Amino acid sequence: MPSYEKGPVSIHYEEAGSGFPLLVIPGGGLNATIGYLSNRVPFNPMEELSDEYRCITMDLRNADGGQSSGPVEVDRPWDAYTDDQLGLMDHLGIDKFLVLGFCIGGPFIWNMLKRAPGRVIAAVPAQPSGFRPELPDLFYQNNMKGWAQALCARRRDVTMEMCGAFLKKMYGANPDFVFSVTRDFVRGCKTPVLVMPDDTPPHPYAVAEESALLAPNAQMTFFPWKEDKARVPLAVRHLRSFLRANTPA
Amino acid sequence: MPVYEKGPVQIHYQEAGSGFPLLVIPGGGLNGTIANLSEGCPFNPLDVLSDEFRCITLDQRNAKGGQSAGPLEVDRPWDSYTDDHLGLMDYLGIDKFLVLGFCIGGPFSWNLIKRAPDRVLAAVLAQPSGFRPELPNNFYNNNMKGWGPALCERRSDVTMETVAAFLKSMYTDRADFVFTVTRDFVRNCRTPVLILPDDVPGHPYAVAMEAAMLAPNAQVSLYPWKDTERRLTVALRHIRMFLGANRPV
Repeated sequence: MPSYEKGPVSIHYEEAGSGFPLLVIPGGGLNATIGYLSNRVPFNPMEELSDEYRCITMDLRNADGGQSSGPVEVDRPWDAYTDDQLGLMDHLGIDKFLVLGFCIGGPFIWNMLKRAPGRVIAAVPAQPSGFRPELPDLFYQNNMKGWAQALCARRRDVTMEMCGAFLKKMYGANPDFVFSVTRDFVRGCKTPVLVMPDDTPPHPYAVAEESALLAPNAQMTFFPWKEDKARVPLAVRHLRSFLRANTPA
Repeated sequence: MPVYEKGPVQIHYQEAGSGFPLLVIPGGGLNGTIANLSEGCPFNPLDVLSDEFRCITLDQRNAKGGQSAGPLEVDRPWDSYTDDHLGLMDYLGIDKFLVLGFCIGGPFSWNLIKRAPDRVLAAVLAQPSGFRPELPNNFYNNNMKGWGPALCERRSDVTMETVAAFLKSMYTDRADFVFTVTRDFVRNCRTPVLILPDDVPGHPYAVAMEAAMLAPNAQVSLYPWKDTERRLTVALRHIRMFLGANRPV
């Protein structure tokens, strides 16, 4: 598996297919790895979409079970990951691209649209993460247990205090909506977006739908679309049409 | 309003816009009229799609409040309406076209695809009618009250006995699924279809979803999609993309 390096950051990535570039962000929260695409998401874009697109995916920086690593940037958690995603596109010589992200890929996508609106042609947040007022500490708690401990065990330069501060900044600084951008940003975002909603504790339907209703060029798939495997192809057809409609000729 | 005539059949129709032809079938069951597009349907395609398409619509043959008339063909109820739809396209010199049908336009669209698979490039079925086992006589009873008596009143050649035989042939003798075609037909139908489900007695959600899951090139919209203006806007984006993707370049 190839890797892209920039200073202290090392990102393992994978490619499949050819065509217009499609950045695929795996699900799995801060432990999102390429491996998740094979066994933990409703469909694997590297298999489903590589007949038409140059699909590029990566292990998230510091994900448990992945091979990417980098500093824990306490002051700019979302931007640190967006640096990796945009940096990988730069490394591959890709200017404009499509993006499809599962779970944490939702907030990442919105941040990418904020940072590189001229580069992201269209975006698909699938089962996107979001804030649920009735579970305000969900992401902090889950990651302190499921991400930070393993990271500290393999990295002597990272402490649980740093992880706590990182997670507090990432999820606690703007505990609302999609974490990474405001409703006003989404309301003004002209980039075409296809939202594929979910409704689990970290993936609230209400936030997914709200973002689809706010964004002026958004579409949304039907719901539920992934619990019954027979429904997944229906949603994937909508996805494929959306990507095609937004792929430059 | 212009008229297309063929033998004893007279069909009042209306056009709006220019571009690839889009046949719009109004909702309202057997009383489907052009006026219903403004009054009874969630949106009027002649207003919202005529910027990109040549929209053509018609009063259904013998609809109350409309200006179309023709015989009551007891032995071929569905096909007699499909004759009018295809006949109007012939009359206008249109070979291939797209279809968007509300309500009864669902069964009509399937019949059009069966009768003219090479002419119908894609179909949008909005709040499609279908059979509901718990209300097996729904359409028969509704039309015996809401359509038959008014028709008999203005047409001396039509009796309630003829109306009853017509409705029995149309609905009772085909009491399953989408009335006009079988599941096997839908399973093998390669024509792209976009289904926008509803869930009122005459428009069962279960049938809409079953059709969408069977048809190999089907898509389905978000649901619900017509209860608020904002959801409707999101659904319309999907419709526009779907129609755009399926018209010849």
